[in-house]
Amino acid sequence: MAQQKIKKSSLALRSWKKLVRNKLAMLGVIVSTLMIFASIFANFITPYDPSKIDFTNMAKPPSWEHLMGTDKMGRDVFSQVLYGGRVSIYVSVVGAVLGSIIGMILGGLAGWFGGKIDLILVRTSEVFLTFPNMMLVLILVAFVGQGINNLIFIFFITGWMTPFRMVRNEFLSLREETYVEVCKAFGISNLSIIFRHILPNTTSPIMVATTINIANYILQEAALSFLGLGVPVTVPTWGNIMNAAKSIEVIRNYWWLWLFPGLVISVFVLAANFAGDGLRDVLDPRQ
Amino acid sequence: MLYYFIRKLLAIIPMLLLISLIVFVAIQFSPIDPINYLASPDMTANSPNLQALRQLLGLNDPIYIRYIRWLGNVLHGDFGYSIVDGSSISKLIAMKLPATFEISLAALIISTIFGIGIGILSAIKQNTIIDYLGRIIGVIGISIPQFFFGIILIQFFSIKLGWLPVGGRIELGYRTWWDHVPNMILPSLALGVSMTAALLRYARNSMLDVMTKDYIKTARSKGIPEWKVYIKHAFRNALGPTLVILAFRLPILIGGSVMIEAVFSWPGIGAIILQGVSSSDYPVIMMTTMMIATAMLIASFLVDLIMALLDPRIRFDR
Repeated sequence: MAQQKIKKSSLALRSWKKLVRNKLAMLGVIVSTLMIFASIFANFITPYDPSKIDFTNMAKPPSWEHLMGTDKMGRDVFSQVLYGGRVSIYVSVVGAVLGSIIGMILGGLAGWFGGKIDLILVRTSEVFLTFPNMMLVLILVAFVGQGINNLIFIFFITGWMTPFRMVRNEFLSLREETYVEVCKAFGISNLSIIFRHILPNTTSPIMVATTINIANYILQEAALSFLGLGVPVTVPTWGNIMNAAKSIEVIRNYWWLWLFPGLVISVFVLAANFAGDGLRDVLDPRQ
Repeated sequence: MLYYFIRKLLAIIPMLLLISLIVFVAIQFSPIDPINYLASPDMTANSPNLQALRQLLGLNDPIYIRYIRWLGNVLHGDFGYSIVDGSSISKLIAMKLPATFEISLAALIISTIFGIGIGILSAIKQNTIIDYLGRIIGVIGISIPQFFFGIILIQFFSIKLGWLPVGGRIELGYRTWWDHVPNMILPSLALGVSMTAALLRYARNSMLDVMTKDYIKTARSKGIPEWKVYIKHAFRNALGPTLVILAFRLPILIGGSVMIEAVFSWPGIGAIILQGVSSSDYPVIMMTTMMIATAMLIASFLVDLIMALLDPRIRFDR
């Protein structure tokens, strides 16, 4: 037992060392972690309340007082970006993790039992994949309405397919392995074999898929809120700040209102993608 | 080949039925009175007895009969009516589809040329400055929000340089088709950016993969010029998997058009869907989505055919 534990930790250690050596991936991990912490501790970083309206400071360009300027109602853009990060990151992380969990469970069931369950689930995932993701999200918005929790719900409903397919394919090949036969011979129950003996083998591709999904959901939240269909406008999110840039007048005259939030979104997504790509290189034994 | 073709064609039909069933059920569960989208508004307004009209339209029949009747209508091109302004959905789609098709096709062409071109070049010149540039374009293209890229394009090319219009489909004084090309450039670029990046990354990887194969070594050892090895031996084999991704990623283009059309005030399907979602016009949303899903299925069917033409192994694989 002790032997096994040492071996396990050394594998994790080796992967970690590999990740550290991958400079871009490390940069991605560091930048995204910093941004997450900056959002969590927003109230220590900025003295301004993101929703405080100040008519004496309307639409001011960036200055030392207001690093990213103020919007048309005098609200500080920098603190909006910090507080907005809380909601945007929360929504996409929770959505991606829930989507992966659903995908893993369904993928496990489909891959293990095969037959009709497999056929139905695979067909369903194909139908989901046929609809353009953005359309699917919009349809669901029309049906469940706007809001933070609604968005999380929509994200995990539309994001389970990739983890599902990964886990299912993994199961199809692992199902035939000798150790699974041994488990069966010992009379271990199906559910126990699925969740305790096969599923752990799929963790690494799932981690990669989840990271990439987080990046995608950040983009989707931004897009939806930009269109005015995501999180209600009263809550600051990265997309809601960009919403102002729907008018050509803002694009023309108030560049700080869209350039800074846009850059912040791009940098976070870039960092998450670097981290995801790095994780894939580290965890994929074929590389 | 014919056998393959027919088999693929038959595989689409259950998918289409399933999608139509989902659309039908979704409209049924939406909180609207079906009479408002099944009958044109002047018909409901002029009918003295709505109950009789309901009977006539068969709304009191069991649900499976209603589904079959609805499917029949759809196949005849009758998509029902918008519950918000009462306009015919088929007409609405027919009117707006060309606009979306225009920029999607342009974006597809742009991303295919640049994505595959830069990806292949990047792989050939692996670990040189060209490769690094290609990889940077690849990762930035999938990380930058499309609408943000669109805004940057507007700010730079329309406002600062004044070269291209800020939005809209046709300017005043529009005469020939060429006159509206300037309006198309920016939306197509913004729409194509993430597709370009996705294709670039994939083309690079599959080209790198192919380059390590034995037949490339054989070709080289036969003394075939390097460029010919790349084009005839490597490119052709790397193209297959890239085309699959192309088909797989087509939905990105259509989904992206919702956003891009909003940024550039482009009057297409995306605008209809957006309006439908914000005014809870369920029939409009569902019917447009169904059209798009159908178009996606047909597109992937076409890609399957191209793949089969490129690679004889697929055709005979049963």
